[in-house]
Amino acid sequence: MKKSIALLLLAALSLYVYVRNDVPDQDPYAITDYSRLHPVKVERVVKGQEERQLVAIVQEARQKGLTVSIAGQRHSQGGHTYYKDGIVVDMTSFNRILAVDPARKTVRVQAGATWKDVQDAVNPYGLAVKTKQSQNIFTVGGSISINAHGRDIRNGSLIKSVESFRLLTADGQIKQVSRTENADLFPLALGGYGLFGIILDVTLTLADDEMYRITSDRMSVGEYSAYFQNRVKSNPDIRLHLARISVAPDSFLTDMYAINYTVDRSIPLRGHDRLNEGERLVIPTKLMFNLNRSFDWGKNVFWDLQKRFFGTQQGTVISRNNAMRSESGFMEYREAGKNDLLQEYFIPPDELSAFVEDFKAVLRSESMNLLNITVRYVNRDEEAKLSYAREDMFALVCLFNVPLTEQGQTQMKQSVQRILDAVMKHRGTYYLPYAPYASLDQFRAMYPNYGVFFNKKDEYDPEHLFMNYFYENYRGE
Amino acid sequence: MNALNAQWLIRSQSIVTLAAGMIYPYYLLFLKNAGNSYSKYGLAFAVFTVSSAAVSQWLAPRLDRHGVRMLAASSLGMAAVMLAFPWVMSYGLVLVLQLVMGICNAMQKMSERLLIADHTQHGSRGVVIGSFHFWTSAASGFAVILGGFLIDWLTIDALFYASALLYALSAWAVWRYGRHGAGRAAAAESQRAAHRQL
Ligand SMILES: Cc1cc2nc3c(=O)[nH]c(=O)nc-3n(C[C@H](O)[C@H](O)[C@H](O)COP(=O)(O)OP(=O)(O)OC[C@H]3O[C@@H](n4cnc5c(N)ncnc54)[C@H](O)[C@@H]3O)c2cc1C
Repeated sequence: MKKSIALLLLAALSLYVYVRNDVPDQDPYAITDYSRLHPVKVERVVKGQEERQLVAIVQEARQKGLTVSIAGQRHSQGGHTYYKDGIVVDMTSFNRILAVDPARKTVRVQAGATWKDVQDAVNPYGLAVKTKQSQNIFTVGGSISINAHGRDIRNGSLIKSVESFRLLTADGQIKQVSRTENADLFPLALGGYGLFGIILDVTLTLADDEMYRITSDRMSVGEYSAYFQNRVKSNPDIRLHLARISVAPDSFLTDMYAINYTVDRSIPLRGHDRLNEGERLVIPTKLMFNLNRSFDWGKNVFWDLQKRFFGTQQGTVISRNNAMRSESGFMEYREAGKNDLLQEYFIPPDELSAFVEDFKAVLRSESMNLLNITVRYVNRDEEAKLSYAREDMFALVCLFNVPLTEQGQTQMKQSVQRILDAVMKHRGTYYLPYAPYASLDQFRAMYPNYGVFFNKKDEYDPEHLFMNYFYENYRGE
Repeated sequence: MNALNAQWLIRSQSIVTLAAGMIYPYYLLFLKNAGNSYSKYGLAFAVFTVSSAAVSQWLAPRLDRHGVRMLAASSLGMAAVMLAFPWVMSYGLVLVLQLVMGICNAMQKMSERLLIADHTQHGSRGVVIGSFHFWTSAASGFAVILGGFLIDWLTIDALFYASALLYALSAWAVWRYGRHGAGRAAAAESQRAAHRQL
């Protein structure tokens, strides 16, 4: 009797787990990206090993009329790295560090190397990356292809630290590309979302590794722009900066805190520059983040804890390389049928508080589960054809917990388009590596160079060998 | 002897399989990551079997007298290993832990068999062994599903810690009831011996 009950329970539990996970985003035989949206079957995934092999893949695809998509760590979220029935070239195994030149302060790496690989290689020389995302899990190729930005407020977006790269184009040729050689391709392939060819290796310029002292300040959203202008931007010793806006119901989109990393020349680098390995306190942080995701009271508690935690960090010192490898383990989330997706809005400083008011109004009327907003600063940088920083901008990185069902996605699309209307009203733009909820009109209004970009695509790759859902979503016509 | 006397054994070993079943499939994933190549992965397993085989020869002559102690020690050893895993940062240390687990495995497997034999009688073992197998298998079924949820919700490290807790619990259960049960088994054995003499 007891045994039958136990068996029945076990069978029921198994059935429950099966049904719960029987959704497209959990299909192990389909390929998708970090978003788990839009899973499809592809012809095959090939690991990039050497140059000759990559050239052969491009030639084979041309002969057979197949498409090629290029994948790094696949942390983009709009099908940028794959295409139905096409070949996916997985660049993560093409990841050697080719040369560090301490005199010129440059590093040359294969495109599949991650920022962690780069940091490990340059840290012993007292060097550091100029611009990168907060975390170091991404590939260099994937990061320059979306023209990333991060906590550094002095070095512009990533394109600025790229000196040159080699590009395998649709005709099977390998081209050296820099601001002087094949210069036309430079602002196309950087921020080109894998549409102009496979970036093989990259030469990046580096900064010095330095010791920073961490300080944090609290303020309201209304005070932040002036604070940034007068206290942060005007102090050249502040090198890295980020801020957070509260999503907790008790202080919704009003409370903020900012964290600054100020050079401290009294602390020698040697002896303090050992790279942090592993992550601390993942279990409690992930638990807290789960509560933040699930409950309003969880959001209040999480916000309080964050503020308190950064209070305790006040005055601590950290090397640039360690400040640029922040933790990500606590964000991992695999729940079937749901995911945490990023959306990012660039807003000129003088428009910030007015935008946030409009944003608040949209969020209040749409039922969106907003988990976190971080704020970064990017300098004006119009070099990339699809540049998002047509003037100096605050970047509001918003993390939403969203259902992956068709209905949930339709709802999300409507809500995001309303947010984007507000973004446009305040001279803003949005970030393209994430799920493409924008309407074609909104995209075109915020990226007026779209015509040039896609015409150049046709010119360099007339047969559309390099293909992905970014192209399909935004090409239009 | 009947099934009742073996119940503490079934219970404590169900906790052990709960602890083991919870971690085992996920532990394999973890090991594969630590190994990079399949041959390195294979080696990690070979270390386990070699240490298990070697220590069995040292344990064998001591088994009859110290069965319960060994069973408890194996659980405690496993608990320690589970606590250590999240902190391991090198392949060399993974091998050391595999070695310790090999030793625990020998202690557990050998003493478990001994105690089953001690607590059953020739001709009536089927039921007890069946019961033993049922509960330990069912326990690992539940464990592995729970383990999946726990990793999704927290992290694989949390699973290692949960498993350590269960191993510690089973060590306690073995110690608490095993001595008692073993005492009874010994008493019964001497009774039987007395009967035979009569
Ligand atoms: C948790 C999280 C945090 C993030 N934080 C930030 C942040 O702080 N700042 C920021 O700017 N972005 C951020 N992003 C976005 C992230 O920078 C991009 O998604 C980036 O592309 C990830 O790199 P990847 O290696 O995963 O690239 P993938 O997603 O694999 O690829 C991105 C694009 O690059 C192309 N590509 C990749 N490799 C090559 C190559 N060798 N040659 C040609 N094309 C190639 C792909 O085709 C694709 O179009 C974040 C994303 C996540 C999920």
